[in-house]
Amino acid sequence: MDPHVRSLVERAFDYRGYVTIVRNDGSQLVGYLYDRSDAHVDLFDERAEQRTRVPAEQIADVRFSGEDAAAKSQEIWERRKGALEPLDTPAHGGWTQTLPALFVVAMEQELRAVAEAMGGRARAGVARGHLHGREVAAVAIGMGGDPRRAIEADRPACVVSCGFGGALSPDLRAGDLVLASAVQAPDGEVLPAPDLQVTRALPRAIRGQLVCAPQVAVTPEEKRRLAKGGAIAVDLESAQVARAAARAGVPWLALRAIVDEADVTLPPFAREARSDYVLPALRHALRGPGAALQLLRLARAARAATASLTAAVQSIGAALP
Amino acid sequence: MGIPAAQMAAVARYLVKQRLARNDRYALVLMLEPLFRCNLSCTGCGKIQYPLPILKKHLSVADCVRASDECGAPVVSIAGGEPLLHPEISQIARALVDRKRFVYLCTNALLLERKLDLFEPDTHLSFSVHMDGPQKEHDRSVCREGVYDLAVQAIREAVKRGFRVTTNTTVFADSDPDRMRGFFDDMTALGVEGMMISPGYSYEKAPDQNNFLHRERSNRLFSRMLENGKKSWSFNQSPLFLQFLMGKRDFECTPWGSPTFNIFGWQRPCYLLQDGYAGSYRELLETTEWSQYGRKSGNPRCQDCMVHCGYEPSAVRAAFESASAMGATVASMVTGRL
Repeated sequence: MDPHVRSLVERAFDYRGYVTIVRNDGSQLVGYLYDRSDAHVDLFDERAEQRTRVPAEQIADVRFSGEDAAAKSQEIWERRKGALEPLDTPAHGGWTQTLPALFVVAMEQELRAVAEAMGGRARAGVARGHLHGREVAAVAIGMGGDPRRAIEADRPACVVSCGFGGALSPDLRAGDLVLASAVQAPDGEVLPAPDLQVTRALPRAIRGQLVCAPQVAVTPEEKRRLAKGGAIAVDLESAQVARAAARAGVPWLALRAIVDEADVTLPPFAREARSDYVLPALRHALRGPGAALQLLRLARAARAATASLTAAVQSIGAALP
Repeated sequence: MGIPAAQMAAVARYLVKQRLARNDRYALVLMLEPLFRCNLSCTGCGKIQYPLPILKKHLSVADCVRASDECGAPVVSIAGGEPLLHPEISQIARALVDRKRFVYLCTNALLLERKLDLFEPDTHLSFSVHMDGPQKEHDRSVCREGVYDLAVQAIREAVKRGFRVTTNTTVFADSDPDRMRGFFDDMTALGVEGMMISPGYSYEKAPDQNNFLHRERSNRLFSRMLENGKKSWSFNQSPLFLQFLMGKRDFECTPWGSPTFNIFGWQRPCYLLQDGYAGSYRELLETTEWSQYGRKSGNPRCQDCMVHCGYEPSAVRAAFESASAMGATVASMVTGRL
């Protein structure tokens, strides 16, 4: 190797930035030079995806074309003059960790279904796991809860409001999946859902408007009243989630697995916000055979909805950008 | 001492195997750097100064498993960068634990508490939390306020959930021995299984070049920190290495004892010096000019280095190659005295 080129290569090896290799034929190659020998140099391309080996005899010049990360680090350190960064400082290099998706649910039962889909465990209202090798998280905010803190803490690339819902359209069956084209808030505002690529992963989902009610719609009469605005299904949280996501500048989608069909009356305890419904269900079943049968049907519908929700979460995972 | 019996037995079996095979150069600890990205930029760190695309790149689970299988070291230290930023870190740890490696997952603990759910407690897995001393010193070392408190909270939660937790501490020239002794008390009270200490290495790319230790200063500082140490203190290190830090013993560096694998390949010659890369572990062993490194070589970059990655393997080998060194190790483990 020419002594001048050799000294440039040695400098480039020590340099923590991109260099441009100029070949004898005039062609140029930009990359990060991470190794060298008498016979060649090894570089990563600008996206750090491809490795290239350039024979030493082809090198005419080396230009230090990129910023030196070590010098930048030194400059930042000197500017700080011993002052400490605040705890919420973004990660080094301007890189921030981004969850590809945050699943927001209301109840523990929904959280368990989502956690199962992501191979994680629900604990204290939070679940973390993986979908197609990528880390994702889910949080339970409680019936009608406030999702802002969870969204702001995780700053995900996408928020998925999901869980169980009630059918308003008589065409929907237990276990059907509703993908919101828009969400109507309790104050009447209608929030159109962003058109996200990821929703293509749910070809069997039924698209339509969701309405967000202040409490669980228990009787067919209540559901008929809610359906007057054009919604096909009802839940309690999607409007708050959509608003919080929009405020944080994060795209969102809302997804509901139907438990109770439009003509089904739910037992009154369905209105109670609880982590576990075993005791009230037992009390209800003791009222008589009719009540027990109602619960059996509801349990079967909940199983269908859970399976549908789990499958939908996995499909979304496969399509996350 | 805080090294679990199962780990000591596994290392002993491995050493016997290497001796029977007449292997002179072998790895004891694989230093696995699955990424360089970090959520801190510490004053004495020279590992993270790379362009953004390099910082965003990481090793896959398969890369990590292959590296571990290639070198066969019974202990794997997952360093970085901040390993908990790796999107597949729990799968990497799981795959290595499944291969019965003793995994030390180094972390600054900023993300530890919220990521604990991704891991299962296991005798082969320990979180090695970076703690550079008491609150004031640690926050100053990592250049960020509140990190010590956050790490303490994460350690408490991890210990409560049944995880093995150790700490790793880099000692710099301005460390106060008395305050460090108080720090050892604090970590012991928190329930950490063992502590690891090492003098800071003068990374060429680290911003603060004035606070690294020279050999004599290291000896004085470690003597004052460790002499007449409390029996309750538990160090996850060879007693001979700690005696070396105190200046009571001398060793030559074993750079191949803790080989480093990262996105560039197998780093020559060691975790701290970057003189190039090899494509395989075998190539690293066979083509690195080992005589160019270590104190005896006269290499100026090695003269003040007393860092664990080079000298802990020397201490472990010494204990297995000399009856008196083995006796000193056992005596220290029984009495707790160095």
